[in-house]
Amino acid sequence: MHDPNPGRMARRKLSSRSDAAVVDYADKEPSAFASMLGGLIEANVEGRPEKQADFASLVARVGIWVTDIDEGVTLDFKGGKLTVHNGLEPGRRLTIRADAETVMSLSNLKIGLFGMPVYYDEVGRGVAAKLLRGKLKIDGLLPNVVTLNAVTRIFSVQ
Amino acid sequence: MTVKAFSPEWAKAFKDEVNKSAVYKAAGKGWKWSVGLVVEAEPDKHFTDAKGIVLDLFDGEARDVKIGEAADAQKCDFVITAPYSRWKEVATKQLDATKGMLQGKLRLKGDLPTIVRYTKASQEMTECTTRIPVEWPDES
Repeated sequence: MHDPNPGRMARRKLSSRSDAAVVDYADKEPSAFASMLGGLIEANVEGRPEKQADFASLVARVGIWVTDIDEGVTLDFKGGKLTVHNGLEPGRRLTIRADAETVMSLSNLKIGLFGMPVYYDEVGRGVAAKLLRGKLKIDGLLPNVVTLNAVTRIFSVQ
Repeated sequence: MTVKAFSPEWAKAFKDEVNKSAVYKAAGKGWKWSVGLVVEAEPDKHFTDAKGIVLDLFDGEARDVKIGEAADAQKCDFVITAPYSRWKEVATKQLDATKGMLQGKLRLKGDLPTIVRYTKASQEMTECTTRIPVEWPDES
């Protein structure tokens, strides 16, 4: 009836783990949001082989700011390693600003043909509409579409 | 009819609300894990003993909702823990559960990709709690 092995847990600090850990945290006390995003990406990369090529090749700093809780993180992808910082750090290539619900929607985008996020289903249309209405803002979008797509693929749980 | 917060009557009302929800039925399709809600005691709010709420949810249906010890809820596949007053904020729409989890006000244990995949279902479950008229111990 119930899954006896529910898998990875939230709010774990990974700094004491072995060097093989794919995600670590820059801050001694990662925020709840940092732990959640780091845990989500780690579970995705370790559990889904199709995410590993993107994760291994992505080198970029990406900020995510959640507008309705006034909290954010910087995801520092370093080609097979990720360091999660509390707050926005300098040197970001992309910064995504949206409310909590939209940030969760981004991780529910389906990935379609040629690894492109799907914007024509219900979730995708919702995300696209928020982008058009300015409720989802992506600083640095135009020159970094390829990076955004790679981050979306790593981030997506679908 | 008003029911006492986190009582067996509340559990029944919650189960009925979930099963009445067409939104939950669709969004919870494929869900097959147990969920435990731990309500931590706050004696100054007249909520003296921690309680555990065990939700047996399956494929868009609430098969059972039971009130018991916190330890019962902690054995579930997914566990969400918060003090009494935080759960009250959720049930009275003062705190959005998604925001609460991102802020660490509600502490989540369980497989993150799975819970994120069912964000809509968990939002609707929260909505269901807000439809139950509740008698709160710190208000009576």
